[in-house]
Amino acid sequence: MKKLLNNWFVQALLFLMALGLTAYVSQVINDVLPPYVLIIGLFIGINLIMALGLNLITGVTGQLSLGHAAFMSIGAYSSAIATVNFHVPFLLGVLIGGLVAGLFGLIIGFPTLRLTGDYLAIATLGFAEIVRVQFTNMKITNGAIGFLGIQGSTTFPIVMTIAVLTIFAMVWLEDSRNGRAMLAIREDEVASSAVGINTTLYKIQAFAIGAFCAGVGGALFAHTTTFIQPTDFGFLKSVDILSIVVLGGLGSIPGTIIGAIVLTAAPEALRSLSNYRMMVYGLLLIVIMIFRPYGLLGGVNLRQAVRRAIMLPKKKQTGRGA
Amino acid sequence: MSLLALADVTIRFGGLTAVDTLNLEVKQGEILALIGPNGAGKSTVFNLITGIYKPTHGKISLDGKPLAGIPTHKIADMGITRTFQTIRLFSELSVLDNVKIGAHCRGNAGLFQAFTRLPGMKREELELEEKSMEALEFLDLAGKWEEKAKNLSYGEQRRLEIARALVSKPKVLLLDEPAAGMNPQEKAVLVEMIRRIRDTGITIFLVEHDMKLIMGISERIAVLDYGKKIAEGTPLEVRSNKAVIEAYLGSGKFKSRIRR
Repeated sequence: MKKLLNNWFVQALLFLMALGLTAYVSQVINDVLPPYVLIIGLFIGINLIMALGLNLITGVTGQLSLGHAAFMSIGAYSSAIATVNFHVPFLLGVLIGGLVAGLFGLIIGFPTLRLTGDYLAIATLGFAEIVRVQFTNMKITNGAIGFLGIQGSTTFPIVMTIAVLTIFAMVWLEDSRNGRAMLAIREDEVASSAVGINTTLYKIQAFAIGAFCAGVGGALFAHTTTFIQPTDFGFLKSVDILSIVVLGGLGSIPGTIIGAIVLTAAPEALRSLSNYRMMVYGLLLIVIMIFRPYGLLGGVNLRQAVRRAIMLPKKKQTGRGA
Repeated sequence: MSLLALADVTIRFGGLTAVDTLNLEVKQGEILALIGPNGAGKSTVFNLITGIYKPTHGKISLDGKPLAGIPTHKIADMGITRTFQTIRLFSELSVLDNVKIGAHCRGNAGLFQAFTRLPGMKREELELEEKSMEALEFLDLAGKWEEKAKNLSYGEQRRLEIARALVSKPKVLLLDEPAAGMNPQEKAVLVEMIRRIRDTGITIFLVEHDMKLIMGISERIAVLDYGKKIAEGTPLEVRSNKAVIEAYLGSGKFKSRIRR
């Protein structure tokens, strides 16, 4: 049984089945739930995809980025231009959005990733502002008036499937040579290069992949709202995504998932408080950070926790417990 | 035969000459110690060898290949790894992951392998895991593989740093004050381990303050004072060297010290 599970084809098949199941279940949910709830679910998915990207940059590799909304806007605009002006199919448009954003992540990564910590944060912030102003002044994006007439092609099943795909990709990445190198950079850059890790290379990789995720999220966003304008992608949007990652627990994929759910759903759940809504929302953030300073699932090793909970005996020394 | 050679290596930080025309050869398979009073430039020498600093003058070469202009991460790949004076572990990661990362330069997998997880990648991971466990066993840390590095005791953390540096099978292992902060028992264990590492064919170059440990373990000692090499030789020779005694204890003559 165990040998069978280790077979690559069996795993690939299981993976595809998981994706298919996600698509099917979310289609069923799509047919049952009211549109209002669905749209919240959809935004949870979009935020999750983007937050997973930022988690790779900030949580895993330890590079504080305040410009994630810029990559989101690049993905949103480039996919919108692709589908509206060039009549590209929707899913291809999403891919284009991701790729263009990823490319920008690569270009921006080279000069800025020599900076660290606060300095990098300011540089990414500056980059985000440049992008926003650029979109405000470009003809093809229709400037400040906003980009109109995007097809509302994004559906709940599509978002959920892409979100699950992103989760898988991130789990795989973290459990690989590249992912370990990124974690090492977060922990100690000098020691990383002393063991042979090309820190610049892996930082740029993380940046590009994170930007790709943001671009995909942005593309899905554009095809949900059907109308985008530069102010959708301001500094506050970057902070929103960063809050998801920090509140969920930096570097924790399950944490990011919970963060995306809580922080996207909370403003809606608090709607009954009308004027006090954002106040309570802010209070919620403060309370969570006081009681869980490392985020909801920060510092929790889920595999270990689950194993301890069901009291499985420790595996032999070689080979890590699955 | 010299494995690692420093020829006329000089580095200046502004007006301060931290290392001054240093000539030093580390021979294949030996245990060489670099000693000297605080601020003599010992750690700077390590930082020069590993490419963290670039020498103002002079050449450093490994196996005859010059190391000038080679970035730190490639130097590890060429076969020089190190530990640090202040412990630099990946403290939030598991002990096993720390060692696995140590073998980074011996791996080949890239992004494609990370996402496709083809059998080749898994084989590499499995081999890596085995090699890492071997290194942990060698340093008597195998039982702790699942712990977070930060939860280890001080002595264990020092040993983990050595395991991380060893797993890539370097030619030269640089140990920067490996015994700092250790109690006598831990030191005895360390000495034993350093010998065993050398016996596997790895050349050892260490900086240390503990004279007893140095005298007991090293085959040759080089003494640094104010960036200059003032003596080199067997422990016995160095111990009775006048310049060394002067550097550590002073000459007893007020003037001679001032003149520098």
